[in-house]
Amino acid sequence: MKRKLLIALLVVVLAIPLGVTSARQDTVTIEFWHTYNEVSPENEMLVETLIPMFEEANPGIKVESVPFPYDEFRQTMLTALAGGEGPDLARLDIIWSPEFAELGVLEALDEVMPDFQDYADRVFPGPLSTNSYDGHYYGLPLDTNTRILWWNAAMYEAAGIDGPPATIDELAAQCEAIKALGDDKYVFSDGGTYGWAVLPWVWSMGGDVTDPDITQASGYLNGKATVAAYEFLAEMVDNGCFSPSFLGGGLGTEGFFTDVFATVLEGPWWYPLAEAQYPDFEIHTSLMPAGDGGSISVVGGENIALFKGAETEAALAFLRFTQSDDYQLKMSEVGQLAVIPELIETDYFQNHPYYGTFLTQLETAKARTPHPRWTQMEEVLTEAGQLILRGEASAQEALDMAAEEIDALLAE
Amino acid sequence: MIFANTRSQRGFQITILAVLCLGAVVAMAPMVYMASTAFKPNAYSPEFPPTFIPDNPTLKNFETAFSSRNFVRAFFNSLGVAVATSALVTTLTAMMAYAFARFEFRGKNPIYYSVLAMMMVPTMMLIIPQFMVARRLGMLDSLPGLVLVYTAGAMAFNMFLLRGFFETLPRELEESALIDGANHFVIFARIMVPLARPALSTVAVFSFLGAWDEYIWALTVLTDLEKRTLPVAIANFRGQHASDWGLVFAASLTAVVPTILLFIFFQRYFVKGITAGALKG
Repeated sequence: MKRKLLIALLVVVLAIPLGVTSARQDTVTIEFWHTYNEVSPENEMLVETLIPMFEEANPGIKVESVPFPYDEFRQTMLTALAGGEGPDLARLDIIWSPEFAELGVLEALDEVMPDFQDYADRVFPGPLSTNSYDGHYYGLPLDTNTRILWWNAAMYEAAGIDGPPATIDELAAQCEAIKALGDDKYVFSDGGTYGWAVLPWVWSMGGDVTDPDITQASGYLNGKATVAAYEFLAEMVDNGCFSPSFLGGGLGTEGFFTDVFATVLEGPWWYPLAEAQYPDFEIHTSLMPAGDGGSISVVGGENIALFKGAETEAALAFLRFTQSDDYQLKMSEVGQLAVIPELIETDYFQNHPYYGTFLTQLETAKARTPHPRWTQMEEVLTEAGQLILRGEASAQEALDMAAEEIDALLAE
Repeated sequence: MIFANTRSQRGFQITILAVLCLGAVVAMAPMVYMASTAFKPNAYSPEFPPTFIPDNPTLKNFETAFSSRNFVRAFFNSLGVAVATSALVTTLTAMMAYAFARFEFRGKNPIYYSVLAMMMVPTMMLIIPQFMVARRLGMLDSLPGLVLVYTAGAMAFNMFLLRGFFETLPRELEESALIDGANHFVIFARIMVPLARPALSTVAVFSFLGAWDEYIWALTVLTDLEKRTLPVAIANFRGQHASDWGLVFAASLTAVVPTILLFIFFQRYFVKGITAGALKG
């Protein structure tokens, strides 16, 4: 009897996965893949407000939102595409767009979308440029962001410093007063030597990764200004002014709220988090400290791209919807900064408590090298940064080597 | 105890105890930290130094996890997939291992070693070819498809484990049963399987855990939110720029409960099973 029961149970369990069969539908369903955290306000806005709004206005089109964890998204997508599967539309990190375009899996929007130019003319040119590859545009910007300087007012007051540093030299000069607060205090902190962390310093000090046409790194990545920027970072880590987490120790920005780091570079997503976890903390921000090259931060954000084999017309309808004022303003409410400069004039942005500094910073912010090999280039860059900041190689040596490797990647 | 309880003996025991305690603390610390963070509100950034007892313990993270669209569903998807995988792997590998342990047939060794060779291929290398095969077979976005892939992946190691165990069982048992008129199937089902219970439990637990924890393949083939498994659902609680670790850990803690129950349930067989066959393999 017991055995029969066990067998019956097994049969039932084995049958569970078979239970779900998809119903036939007359409507066109498009899949939109993205990396919004499933319980985030962004996801809620998309799934509860924006998609229903679109579906109501476009009967016959159903949008299926499919979230993926950010860290594995690129790899999962590459596997699925190699196996001949993929989404209709996807929200791609701006650094991935050229790579997917090169793979030949994206539709050139300037070819399949007759009104592409109207949309292209409306958006920030910087984010738009991250969609271009080989003379065509393979997407439109969906949201944008950049990193600005957050400064810990309590630490500044305790150290007797008037205000945030306007220049990199000022920041370096503030180190001594901050260190006087305690051995474990740092004037600045970041979480690694990847491009997102290092490039604002390189650019602001007048350096760069490649020439403007992205044909070679030699003479730029190992040029005088870039070498000086890395030497500056190495010196600051070495003398304890910048936190050792710069080497990728994992202790990132949280020390900022607990009075360990006087300044950090962070994006708009930290506001809601700071308000939730540290409600008493007073938030102050300013622009990236300027060097010889100006105050130049790094552009982040995402593009929306159309995949080959998609339900093109239905997908384009949703893509156009993402460029509408409604969509852009709604997403801005949950931390996804709009990509349309005209909207900056709206009351919403004009009265916003903190978007202003981001928008000013965005005027000069630069995108990480828009190139299909960026992911590999960044690995080279990160490793060179490690060698330099750990003092295992001089900046010149490590960057000469890195420039040579990146030249090879660019020549492929 | 054979040795006299001398002072040096006692010192030795204390040292062993201390080392074991240290090991236990090191092994438990991440679990304890996970459990305590699960009860902390708004834990976006891990505190340093870590605190193990939350200041304002809350069940909010569990509420958020359980009320999210797909978490409960993912839990039951995982449970179904893991139980089915475990049942299939245990049944199939027991039969294979018994045949390899007891029968002589043409090509036995080449077949045996080619099955074992599958253990040596890294999973990540196979992911694209496997994806293509799964697509042709219409097994993408399908939980039975997931069970099939997990079962295939778990066969080699578990068969290896069971063969070693079957070889330790005395042949005389089978011989006397044969004389009594039993056929091989009866011998296998009535004599060998009951005797192999410790080893079979080990296989059942290992294959359950394998299917319960698997992440990359499930993430790659399942796009229908209603079919996603627990590791994928938990990963989707992480954010691109910052994560609410309280929520992630509350979900992880929920995921650990069945595995702990399973371990407690099978423990008395399980520990025997790992060492069984170790001397004669």
